[in-house]
Amino acid sequence: MSSNVDIKGPKIQKDTGAYHPINHIKYSILKVLSSMNFQIIEGPEIESEKFNFDMLNIKESHPARQMHDTFYIDNKESLLRTHTSPVQIRSMLDNKPPLAFISGGKVYRKDDDATHLPMFHQIEGIYIDEDISFAHLKNLIYKIIYSLFGEDIQLRFRPSYFPFTEPSAEVDIMSEDGKWLEVLGCGIVNPVVLENCNIDPKQYSGLAFGLGLERIAMLKHKVGDIRDFYKSNLDFLDQFK
Amino acid sequence: MKLSYRHLVKHIVQKPTITELSAKLFQLGHEHEIQDEILDIEFTPNRGDCLSIKGLLRDLSAFYSVEFDMPTYDKPIDSLKIKFKNKCRKMCPKISFLKIEIEDNIQDYKSNLKTYFEDLNNKPINFFTDVSNFVAYETGQPTHAYDASIFNNQVILKEISDSYEFTTLLNDKILLTDKNNVFFAENEIINLAGIIGGKKSACNKETKTAIIECAYFLPDAIIGKTIKYDINSEAAYKFERGVDPESQDFVLRRFINIVKDHVKIKNLQICTYDYTTTLPIKIPFNTNEINKILGTDISDKKFKDILSSLNFVCNEKCIEVPSYRNDVKTQNDLAEEIARVIGYDNIEVKSLSVPILNNQSNESYEQNIKGFLIDNGFFEVINFPFVSQSDKTSIKVDNPLDSNKGYLRTDLEKSLLNNLLFNERRQKEIIKLFEISDVYNYKKGQISKKKKLALIATGRVAKNHKDFSKKLTSEFLESILIDLIPQHLLSFKKINRDNLDTKLKNEIFFLEVDYDEINTSIHKYSANSKPPKEYIEYKPISELPSSNRDISFSIKDFSKLNKLEEIINGFKNDILKEKFVFDYFHNKKNNEIKLGYRFVFQSKVKTLTDSEINIVLNDIIMEILKLESVNIPGFKQ
Repeated sequence: MSSNVDIKGPKIQKDTGAYHPINHIKYSILKVLSSMNFQIIEGPEIESEKFNFDMLNIKESHPARQMHDTFYIDNKESLLRTHTSPVQIRSMLDNKPPLAFISGGKVYRKDDDATHLPMFHQIEGIYIDEDISFAHLKNLIYKIIYSLFGEDIQLRFRPSYFPFTEPSAEVDIMSEDGKWLEVLGCGIVNPVVLENCNIDPKQYSGLAFGLGLERIAMLKHKVGDIRDFYKSNLDFLDQFK
Repeated sequence: MKLSYRHLVKHIVQKPTITELSAKLFQLGHEHEIQDEILDIEFTPNRGDCLSIKGLLRDLSAFYSVEFDMPTYDKPIDSLKIKFKNKCRKMCPKISFLKIEIEDNIQDYKSNLKTYFEDLNNKPINFFTDVSNFVAYETGQPTHAYDASIFNNQVILKEISDSYEFTTLLNDKILLTDKNNVFFAENEIINLAGIIGGKKSACNKETKTAIIECAYFLPDAIIGKTIKYDINSEAAYKFERGVDPESQDFVLRRFINIVKDHVKIKNLQICTYDYTTTLPIKIPFNTNEINKILGTDISDKKFKDILSSLNFVCNEKCIEVPSYRNDVKTQNDLAEEIARVIGYDNIEVKSLSVPILNNQSNESYEQNIKGFLIDNGFFEVINFPFVSQSDKTSIKVDNPLDSNKGYLRTDLEKSLLNNLLFNERRQKEIIKLFEISDVYNYKKGQISKKKKLALIATGRVAKNHKDFSKKLTSEFLESILIDLIPQHLLSFKKINRDNLDTKLKNEIFFLEVDYDEINTSIHKYSANSKPPKEYIEYKPISELPSSNRDISFSIKDFSKLNKLEEIINGFKNDILKEKFVFDYFHNKKNNEIKLGYRFVFQSKVKTLTDSEINIVLNDIIMEILKLESVNIPGFKQ
């Protein structure tokens, strides 16, 4: 009776691993933006005060430059970048407008508590061309948010403050439980920053945006504790296949 | 900053509800929370001018008719003669002193001073200090109340650079180091300028004659001090963000008026030391430029109306910025003012398309490498770069979070080994991890960056009947990675367990290579395992121990094998975490299949007992034994 049955044995499930959920989100956002013709660029995590602060119009007296917010190294000669903006600065210096760059990567702040980590990830983008306005920026932000949260998501723009953009905005999305959650910062590139990068602000204007990937990942995957991303627990990582 | 709704709305003609007011505050960029009619507002650091009832009302006057109900003392005041020297004219270009003598001590507070303490849960200290705090809340200008007797001596405002011990009015002892601006009298520091007063010169409940100092300190004179000395100072918070140099007369006259409401004043004298030279900021009137920045089409009239509502003085050629708006200097700043009042959400979107400029990227290359490793069972991890130990080339962090995080890692081995041991302690039988990261060290005195790929693995080959009995070997790992890593670099090292805090004996394999050395042929690799399209809802994991149960099934009718797998795969229970076939044997002699199943149990809430596990296991077994010709050798019902 059994001899005519084809015995293959039990099915073999191939053991596969998984992308880290933060990098998965990073790649998917970069993909959306590069399909809009933004060029992906990279830069060093160890930076100078000049590129991390001065060129971005973050003045010496700005609170972010204090020792409690920034990790300094090499007897204050260098620092661990506090945002990915210096990558854009370097690329603006090396290229002539029009230009459109995005960069994603690790950034560092001197923080360590239940909601802040000393290292986290950002994606930032910049587009410099003639006649770029806040109305254009809004269009781009809608596209980014829709690609992440779907076109039914409700969002709002709020005035905010960043030394490198003016006007500046923060963008909130409406969560399932009816609360506004901040997901993104953006603005019109401050003409001072363009000048610092040898771009004539009379001819060109620009838009810029930045978002923290942990925050997006926490919202998308409903992860409650930001620290879970960096425990390297296989029970955690295995869920993101 | 906490502001009371009723203190605000008192001055607004339209009397908006708190919900209406809240919506307008968000539109203006003042993020806040509301509790019991108190608005807790997080002002952006450029808006120091908003840090008071008056300041916020000035911003709200874009939407409402605001009638300030803050009466001031309007009679002439005699001039005050004190022995004061300002040796910090650059950092403090304007300073006033008001001497005020009262007849009696005050028992009860009235009107707004009373509700200020009630509504905002503030604790009264003494009359002059309380009025000072209230006036700062109302006007945004900090003042400091001294007991007047200290001014019998010479008082000097100067910069010191030596170390001094200073006792604050809260009786905290602070060691001042490096450069500080201080008020000095009788060879002692009586006030850490713009931050906190000293104990020696402070007012108390019996004080009847006080000198009120009202100063304009530049933000640079104050920034960083409260953090350096761990002081909580509302005054410093305001000075750091910029106060209005033109407000001193109004503020001190308001101060007098509040005192007058409570007690008879016997004597008033005032003096001002003014070294300011700054002229009001003027920006060319250019609506086109504003429309260009915003992508809007607003008229000259609308532009003017909005700015006028915010107290900007507009004429045909230029716009004069109010003295308290130290954040407005350029056309872009004006554009933000216009956008806030119109509402960011009301600016119409204009379609944006970025031209093709240069579309090469290397991210897909990195994704191919990762895809290859993931197809082969490796999980990607990301680690912090901070380590406790250094080698000769390590870069030191000047201000680490703690001494165990004082250096930047120069390779990925320690991080990955920690990740591996962490998972071993959680009873993981197969651990395969990788990380791609930049590492930094010194090379010939210069900071050098290298991008690395590192892999670590231990335990069994895979969770299936063919591989579970096999342990990982370097030969096996090297055989699967041959397409990724060039032969001459493909040599896993075994990490010695002798110095590790573990009793396990499985060999640990580690390999680190320069990212640049990876085979470029991987460019063309197309990964089988793609990241999920939909975002997966994460289920919190358990930190409690797990238990394994192995069961061996015997099957005579081979056609039942699929059915058996189907039943087990379909079986779901909260404490059944995982199940897989770890052993399979076809006994041709007996015409029988032996199937070894491993069941892993773990609860999120408790350590499981045998009987709790057995109840679930029994359910599975009973279901399986309904299949004809399937039995469990040695199992008795």
